[in-house]
Amino acid sequence: MRMLSHKAKTAQADLPKPRDATNAGTTAAHARTGRKWAVWIVKYGILSLGAVIMILPFADMLIGALRTPVERLARPPVYWPAIPQWHNFIRAFTDLPMLAWLTNSVIVTGAITVVQLVTSALAGFALAKYRFRGQNLILRIVLVAQIFPFFLFIIPMFFILRYWPFAGGNDWLGQGGTGLLDSYLALILPFAVSWYGVFLMRQFMLTVPDELLDAARIDGASEFGLFWRIALPLVRPGMVTLGLLVWIYHWNEVIWTMTVTRAAPELQTVTVGIQLLRSEFFDERNQSLQQAALAVSVIPVIVLFLCLQRFYVRGLSMGSLKG
Amino acid sequence: MTVSALRLNPAKMVTQKTAPYLFLVPVLLFGLVFFALPLVASLYLSFTSWNSLVAPRWIGLANYEHLFTRDPLFLKTLLNTLVFTVGVVGIGVPASLLLAGVFSRSRYQALWRSIYSLPMVTNVVAVGFIWWFVLADPWGVLNRLLALIGIAGPAWLNDPSTAMIAVVMVFVWMHLGQNMLLFSAGLGAIDESLHEAARIDGASEARIFWSITLPLLRPTILFVLITSVITAISYFALILVLTEGGPVNSTNVTALYIYGMAFTDLRLGRASAAAYVLLVVIFLVSLLQLRVLRRGGVEAY
Amino acid sequence: MSPAPVGLSLKVALRLLATSGLAVAGLSGPVWAQQKTITVATHYTDEQMRPLTACFRRYEAENPNIRIVHQQATFRDFLQTILTSRIGGRSPDIYNVYSIWGVQLVSNGVLAESPADIIDFVRREYEARTVDAATVDGKIWGVPAEVSTYLLVYNKNLLKEAGYSAPPKTWDELAAMAAKISKADAQGKLTVAGYAFGPTPANAVHPFRTLLFSRGRSLFTEDLRSTNLTAPEAVEIVTKQAEMFRQNITNASIQVRDFPSGSVGMMITANWFKDTLRQGLGDKFESTVGVAPIPGGDDWRTYQYSFYYGVDARSPSKPEAWRLVRWLNTPSEPGKRSCVGDMLMTMGGLTANKADIMASQAEVNDPFTRPYVEAISSGRAISEKNVPQASEIEVTIRGAIEEAWLGRQDPQRALSAANAQIESILREAR
Repeated sequence: MRMLSHKAKTAQADLPKPRDATNAGTTAAHARTGRKWAVWIVKYGILSLGAVIMILPFADMLIGALRTPVERLARPPVYWPAIPQWHNFIRAFTDLPMLAWLTNSVIVTGAITVVQLVTSALAGFALAKYRFRGQNLILRIVLVAQIFPFFLFIIPMFFILRYWPFAGGNDWLGQGGTGLLDSYLALILPFAVSWYGVFLMRQFMLTVPDELLDAARIDGASEFGLFWRIALPLVRPGMVTLGLLVWIYHWNEVIWTMTVTRAAPELQTVTVGIQLLRSEFFDERNQSLQQAALAVSVIPVIVLFLCLQRFYVRGLSMGSLKG
Repeated sequence: MTVSALRLNPAKMVTQKTAPYLFLVPVLLFGLVFFALPLVASLYLSFTSWNSLVAPRWIGLANYEHLFTRDPLFLKTLLNTLVFTVGVVGIGVPASLLLAGVFSRSRYQALWRSIYSLPMVTNVVAVGFIWWFVLADPWGVLNRLLALIGIAGPAWLNDPSTAMIAVVMVFVWMHLGQNMLLFSAGLGAIDESLHEAARIDGASEARIFWSITLPLLRPTILFVLITSVITAISYFALILVLTEGGPVNSTNVTALYIYGMAFTDLRLGRASAAAYVLLVVIFLVSLLQLRVLRRGGVEAY
Repeated sequence: MSPAPVGLSLKVALRLLATSGLAVAGLSGPVWAQQKTITVATHYTDEQMRPLTACFRRYEAENPNIRIVHQQATFRDFLQTILTSRIGGRSPDIYNVYSIWGVQLVSNGVLAESPADIIDFVRREYEARTVDAATVDGKIWGVPAEVSTYLLVYNKNLLKEAGYSAPPKTWDELAAMAAKISKADAQGKLTVAGYAFGPTPANAVHPFRTLLFSRGRSLFTEDLRSTNLTAPEAVEIVTKQAEMFRQNITNASIQVRDFPSGSVGMMITANWFKDTLRQGLGDKFESTVGVAPIPGGDDWRTYQYSFYYGVDARSPSKPEAWRLVRWLNTPSEPGKRSCVGDMLMTMGGLTANKADIMASQAEVNDPFTRPYVEAISSGRAISEKNVPQASEIEVTIRGAIEEAWLGRQDPQRALSAANAQIESILREAR
């Protein structure tokens, strides 16, 4: 498998130098330089326009978070707050259970990320570095399972967790209690394995040289030792990639968490908390607080991503293309 | 492997032959409990009438019959799903391809990448509400901007003729950066010398794009197409936040309809049937795309 | 239906976390062996609940073996929350039930039957018409609490500006006045709607009901197997509403919640909206808001619905729960209000508890509330018989009416399609 070159190539003559135009004697050269300028303008015009569209909604949110209720109720409503109400960001923590929400988000997302990394790496290693009966079947299932949409599983999973034997006051038939629904496990277990993660880790594990593993075997390393001491360190970048993908996906997950935690406010994550308050937020006087809360829910992931984005880019291309 | 062998030396049990199975135990267990079991369970439920408060009642094919003959809303949501899918793929894929084209030839890539990645790392609830404010009529920032240039903006989310357009727009916005990065990774993998050779031969940039870049990019394009289509057909989180399917069901897609059927109206049997119908649709579309993909000369992984 | 809150407060989550921890401790530790936790689920915000919460604490002080927890869910999510939490095996002990959910909750065995002393108490202390709303299959399922009814609310200043000194008496008058009140900007966009509707199913269905009742029709047929949606009166009402959208007198963007900002001339709305209006308008409330009968002619009628406190059939502490419900609804001494009555009056709601009404003459007689109270006491406010799947049915009707409003479908066709769908829902539920 050939690893892809991830650095998108930057065109060599990116910016035409104005001096070229004055030095060039022929009209053809003038035309060429003119066209280059046109290309430059179109290129950065498109990128800048796109960037404005990307940023504008976020800016609107931040400006909105700084308004007073009076400014919102005016007709027309005041767009630029006269005195920015920075304390709205503090109110997001004092008037809403923001800390509890964020704590839950961190617990759930962190646990899912760790568990998925473990299960994916183990399975990926097995699928990439061994030959065994059923291997092709399992690989095929891993690939096909990815197209099964999650909504198909919502109803049955809810009841599987509800009737989980010996949990949450249930007897062996799963009757009598709440099963796993009242615990963090309800939010974590259904995502303990991701088929995509298994596939991605297999791709990364393929890059581990067989010679290295065989040499270690001769030196008496155990099979788990091969995985732990040789394969894992080699695919660390892949682990970071997958970890980041999983973290972003599950920090942002809302449907399943909302379904499970509707009646368990103490388990609600930040996305669900904000979603379930939406009808209170339809009141204009509460909307600055809402926009502040949205900003608080968005910023941790953005910061994390900006720090680790090179891994994300690699993960995207690994998952999509065969080497 | 015998029990006595196990008792003698557990470490010895993990040989090169047994190790892969052991490593796969978590995945296999999970596959059994959270994949196979739910699939079977919801297939069974789809033949029952069940509100979860009393035991399920077997009613054969009645749920499927109801969906296709007596539930005009179900068919309408299928149509909405089609419109949504065609919209987000038809607009999102070309737009991100164009952006990737200019992005991969620009400077300050880290900056552009950061900006274009903002939506994809933002949670869907936030995306929904952020746009709910932007699209608000008449005082949202979009209609304020339109009014500046003398255009009376539509009611967007409140008008059934524009709500779907707005939802598609927001979805495209949300996924633009991700697809752009995928395409630019694909573009980065193309051997630049091919382009150089064509340039020396005097081919125009447009010609080079059509005859060299696009064909070489086909695997990425098909990958993005397939994943976008599957995602779009089964998608409803954004719509739940933005419009809850309204106004007058103009943005009610099948997946959202199924969710409400299950957890608001407690028609869990019928919702399971509808989910299976949608699964079949996804399967057929995927098969169709895989055929095209194979014909395009790309092996599936 | 919840008046929009001012102070957002979901410290409930934290509190619940703390108390559920205590509950667990209560199960294991011998010291806590006698402790029982009673969870009360309502759609009210902490702010609105304050008087009731104070009562909870008092009750706990008087009964050291009882802890009371308030579980809050917004009105839109309430039914879904109780149903999913119940199928999840975790249900509150006491519900504040919206009357239209009654049949669904009763037929699925969610609600416990009221004990005889509660039935006597309700029959004795509450107005008969409201007791009907808490009745399913001839049985009373809880203690009536908040009562709501609809009237025409108008902006006095906007009416005066347009040259009107009195509110309209008929829908045709209303439409003509609304046309003069509404204003548009340079681009033709409506800035003031002469009349406004709202986004929820109730915002469409309840005003529609008041107009239908005023024409002598009920929404459901006598046998509760079908509707009168296809009756000419129903079609005419919706046609005239749709006409207002067509003439740009109203639109989907300007809604009842915009009334405080001065961009709504008239609307048909419930008494509990008073709190939102008062908070939004501040000291301009008195000079701005006018209340008038439903513009349905001399024989106008209106719609009333209510909430009642019921107990979960699976609750392990049913006797304690009923005792608490009764305590909350009984005045502590003659001439005073009960806890629930106190809370409802503070937030601008109404009650059908005779003692509470007697003790609340000041609140009941303010210019905003009095017409609502009179609508109920004069018998003009009608509550219909409860049907199964009522919230699903309201969504269906809302859909049809909205199709007509927005000019997507002919009213006749939209309403008869809804009728067919509702007939099928009712048939299935039997």
